[in-house]
Amino acid sequence: MRKVALRPGLEDELKDALSQLELWRCHQCGQCTPVCPSARHGGIRTREVMERASTGAMDLSMDQEIWKCVMCNSCSERCQLGVDPAHVITLLRNAAAQRGNRPEHFAEELKLFASSGMSFPRTGLTRKMRKEFSLPELDVSEGTMEELRRLISSTRLGRL
Amino acid sequence: MDGYLLYSGCLIPSRLPFLEASSRFVLDRLGVTYEPFPEGTCCVEPIGLRSLGYDAWLLVVARMLSIAESRGKDVLMLCNGCFLSFKEAAHALEDERVRHRVNQGLAEIGREYHGGARVRHLMEVLQEVGSSRMESMVTAPQDRLRLALHPGCHVIRPAKVLRVDAHYSPRVLADIASRTGAQVVSNDAWPRCCGGGLAGVDDRISSAILQDNVDSFKAAGANCILTPCPFCFVQFDLRQKQGLPVLYLSELVALAFGASPELIGLKYHRTKLE
Repeated sequence: MRKVALRPGLEDELKDALSQLELWRCHQCGQCTPVCPSARHGGIRTREVMERASTGAMDLSMDQEIWKCVMCNSCSERCQLGVDPAHVITLLRNAAAQRGNRPEHFAEELKLFASSGMSFPRTGLTRKMRKEFSLPELDVSEGTMEELRRLISSTRLGRL
Repeated sequence: MDGYLLYSGCLIPSRLPFLEASSRFVLDRLGVTYEPFPEGTCCVEPIGLRSLGYDAWLLVVARMLSIAESRGKDVLMLCNGCFLSFKEAAHALEDERVRHRVNQGLAEIGREYHGGARVRHLMEVLQEVGSSRMESMVTAPQDRLRLALHPGCHVIRPAKVLRVDAHYSPRVLADIASRTGAQVVSNDAWPRCCGGGLAGVDDRISSAILQDNVDSFKAAGANCILTPCPFCFVQFDLRQKQGLPVLYLSELVALAFGASPELIGLKYHRTKLE
């Protein structure tokens, strides 16, 4: 695999991750693209992303195409060589996020998760509905939050 | 098996509690017992959050798997996203080296995972109940429904990890639907994506994918969509502009078991069922 253009420190980590994925298996057959619902509407071009990941022809601080994957796993299911493009894209996104390239929508979701342990806000309507259906209060305890903070502090999420 | 830990995720309990209500109704009727999972957090969902931090995803899910393992109970999932997250993490943690590395992180909070947790989707549990038992409990056959089935990506793919149904021409959802007396008019051989993964990120593409689905459902003569995924449910109920109503899996079964629409909160659907 040729060089992936990344800032020092991240480069080895990403190279290591991508090398474990056996990108060399990709024959550029293109089976991943016609099953992609995003490609059909001018979103991600999966085969091309796989090619660019293999050759390192990608600027992860700028690339917008990787964020147009809908994560349906169709490409990975279809790939007969076991390359798992959806996982490749996940790792590319991880590295891109570390370089400040991430959609605002996901950045907001992360804030909510880190502060509440949940990815959706609990509102007045939440409480009203839970009461209406006699469901227990939705509560993430302080003990659980403390465990969560300690777990993610040393991870990529903790560095974002 | 009985005695599940019921993990409802974050979308259902915070925005769609009525889906939790119908799920509990169905489980209670079937005599499937469950208890809460109070240590649960978001599963670091596999579309956005895992895209930001794969390492955090594995640690956070491993924590919950270790808790389930120490309780000796299977985890019951109501959401495809949570299901994929947990199943893929459990699969990754079958590798001893990965598990060793993750356990070093879990040691920080005094936990350890040995690889023994089991994760089940509501759809699997309902399938296991068996057709004769379920049919014997149907008091209100849903024969007015012509259903378009939408299992959702994350209960099907990757099939070799999830092991719920075939990746080509799946049939589990159709089996369950037919037990309620409903007619199945559309069941894609290659299950489609609802487009939900791009909602809020690229709304144009998300809506276009959504519309592809609904167009084909309408062409097949469907008057309702059926899905076992709350993310797909939101996409169809909230963001769809073509007026085709959607039922979550437990809602269909609850109705067939005689639950009133009020009891299971059908009034909270944006697109009303006739």
